[in-house]
Amino acid sequence: MQLITDKQQGEIPEQKINIKAALTIATTALFAGIAQADTLEEDNWEFDTAFLLYSEVDRVSAGEVILNAKKTYADEEVLNLKLTIDALTGASANGAVAQPYVQTFTRPSGNGQYDIAAGDTPLDDTFHDTRVQLNAQWTQPISSDYTGSAGIHISKEYDYLSIGINGNLAVDFLQKNTTFSIGASYFQDTFTPEGGIPKPFASMLIGDSSAPDWHEDFAKTRIGTEDDKTTTDVLLGFTQVINRRMIMQFNYSYSMVDGYLTDPFKILSIVNNEGLAQDYVYENRPEQRIKQSAYLQSMYHFDTTVLDLSYRYMWDDWDIESHTIDSRLRIPLGTGSYIQPHVRYYQQSAANFYAPYLMQSDFESHRPEFASADYRIGEMTAYTLGLKYGMKVNNGHDLSFRLEYYHQAPTDAGFEAPGVLANEELYPTIDAIIAQVTYSF
Amino acid sequence: MNKQAKGNEIKRKLTLTAREDSYCLSFNAMASPCEVLIETESEILAEQLGRAVAHEVWRIEDKYSRYSSVSACSKINRSQGKPVVIDQETFLLLNFAEQCYKLSGGVFDITSGVLRNAWRFDGSDNVPTNKQVKSCLAHIGWEKVSYDQYQITLAKGMELDFGGIGKEYAVDKAIIIAKSLTKLPVLVNLGGDLSATSPRKNNQAWQVGIDHPGLVKKHSNDKLNSSADNSSVKKVIVSLSQGALATSGDANRFLLKDGKRYSHILNAQTGWPIENAPYSMTVVAPQCIQAGILATLALMKGGDAEKFLMEQDVKHWAIR
Amino acid sequence: MKKQILLIIVMSIVCSGCTNLGVQPWERDLLAKDEMSLSSSPLDSALDDHIYFSKEASSGGKGFGGGGCGCN
Repeated sequence: MQLITDKQQGEIPEQKINIKAALTIATTALFAGIAQADTLEEDNWEFDTAFLLYSEVDRVSAGEVILNAKKTYADEEVLNLKLTIDALTGASANGAVAQPYVQTFTRPSGNGQYDIAAGDTPLDDTFHDTRVQLNAQWTQPISSDYTGSAGIHISKEYDYLSIGINGNLAVDFLQKNTTFSIGASYFQDTFTPEGGIPKPFASMLIGDSSAPDWHEDFAKTRIGTEDDKTTTDVLLGFTQVINRRMIMQFNYSYSMVDGYLTDPFKILSIVNNEGLAQDYVYENRPEQRIKQSAYLQSMYHFDTTVLDLSYRYMWDDWDIESHTIDSRLRIPLGTGSYIQPHVRYYQQSAANFYAPYLMQSDFESHRPEFASADYRIGEMTAYTLGLKYGMKVNNGHDLSFRLEYYHQAPTDAGFEAPGVLANEELYPTIDAIIAQVTYSF
Repeated sequence: MNKQAKGNEIKRKLTLTAREDSYCLSFNAMASPCEVLIETESEILAEQLGRAVAHEVWRIEDKYSRYSSVSACSKINRSQGKPVVIDQETFLLLNFAEQCYKLSGGVFDITSGVLRNAWRFDGSDNVPTNKQVKSCLAHIGWEKVSYDQYQITLAKGMELDFGGIGKEYAVDKAIIIAKSLTKLPVLVNLGGDLSATSPRKNNQAWQVGIDHPGLVKKHSNDKLNSSADNSSVKKVIVSLSQGALATSGDANRFLLKDGKRYSHILNAQTGWPIENAPYSMTVVAPQCIQAGILATLALMKGGDAEKFLMEQDVKHWAIR
Repeated sequence: MKKQILLIIVMSIVCSGCTNLGVQPWERDLLAKDEMSLSSSPLDSALDDHIYFSKEASSGGKGFGGGGCGCN
């Protein structure tokens, strides 16, 4: 306050002397075609920060912070730097099914065991991880209608390292009403899980972890200490301005993932005809996955509100198909504030090797090549309901709050539930709350 | 003026007159007699230049006149609170008007034209009531205008009036066109607001007769007569070697009530005439739009008009 | 014959549809707004992508869906 007052007082006599000079500047701007307000603001960094809390009922909680810094240079070159830090803690499903008695599991590290009460979905509560991610992206016009962009990505967590590069070229046509873009990215990930990489379908060792030969026996269920995977993505984009109120985007993406795609922490229950677990085996997934998706988005400006509607169809060679519909409606409330309801619906079919458990007789007679009980590649529907409130704070900075509810319901893809399993919850739902604060300055 | 706008299609003709060592092209625009002087012996060049200038001036008139119902200005003024799409030129003009608003501390405001609903400077004693002025003020205020590069939104009942800068802007645009067509000396005179690309041959100054209404009244009845052109009592001859000259103020437009003279120079903040303002102010500046704004800003200083321009070290003539 | 006429009509509607798409530079008032940008809240998108990438079998579509974390 004091500063502002001082400044104003100082400006009055100065203005008196400088009206002629100020008018000369204004006149030059008028005829040179430069808006005055713009020239002063250039070459400054813009910052976006966000803090997000994700919390599932009885399961994992995660906190994530993003700091994004963007600098636009005089020639419309844009440098974008992004730092993401997240921390995860809590319990995650290990893939085994609930049983009418207490179950004991060995921790992924091999050091110690945990018990799951009768009737509870087995959750491994040892998950806690901190991840740091850095992204740098450089975008610049190449000629009047061509824009190029290139970026690097590095993400490190305790047991995981991911390094990636990407490039993109966009071409504008017809007075920038039409834009084609082509992009590619390549990621190299290395997974070094605590306790090493389990042997596919090896039985989980359960017993006295303080016994002298425990570590030797545990090591027999392992095939290495680390493994890696590569992801190659190609993205083709087409953007079209429809009219003054509407713009549409269509993307096709092709993604090829090669390498270790198995989750080393996930197991399957081997059950007998009574549905009782006889054994737990480590899961095994194919070493390649080819995903494709078609994505359609449209933005429509009504008199005051803006509708953002998108649909994605994804399919892969694991026979997973998914449909995602996402819609946001931004409703201005005047003086720069707005509310934005958000609805998202998601539905996916199961991977062809997904099984909530394996029958002992089947497993012994003709063991499947691949199997996973990870509900995330099973059949499911999910929806998100959210509300965002944004406002302008001092100096025109943007502050927004977002609160969302995410409900995930794995569904039965037609697996029989023998014996006791008929009474257990095989497809537990997950409810999560997402809370986020964003501040841009 | 309204009639004039209606008659634009017919009235838009260009007259070429040969002089000793130059050509003069005259036309009517913005309710004023306009002329382009070019020192050349080539009639073709003169005509080409005159035509280009006249078309540019007419274009600006058509775009920013509040009298033409199809102008960009009228489109904005009819918007009733809805956003209106603007182009780059309008954006730049709005930006300039905003600078002027800020520099004047809000006294110069292109939204103040609404005041004409209360004030009619017809020489009568018809001074509006405080209430009438106040009701106009509700629809005035640049700070209530929101605009960016693509659109402008005026509150309901508000209007823009480019009258305070339009003619001067046209002079400067005409000069840009003239310079792009020839290196020869050219002078553009739009009803007394004028600018020259360079001095005449042999470094002579331009001699221009101005019949600005601000001067007419004075000439016909006071001692300044001596400086007037003898052949026409309405004209005064000014000499200008280069740069621009603009005049603000109109001595014919006033109200007189109970012995008090109300000038037509209105303070956009109060809605009332500036007191003790000169009848008119003529200013020299590198560009016409600058000269025009400086003259207007000076008038708005009232009794301190001359002092203001002296402090700014600006060459000027005031008529009081 | 009728079919041909219909086809011509349909074709010309389609074609006029094509040429009518898009706007002039000065009509970009609405499109130029931040909220009309196809990625109007990039941080929201980044955070959402991370959540759904780790909870569902699909990723990407709008942008690259590649690797990046061990959450899946």
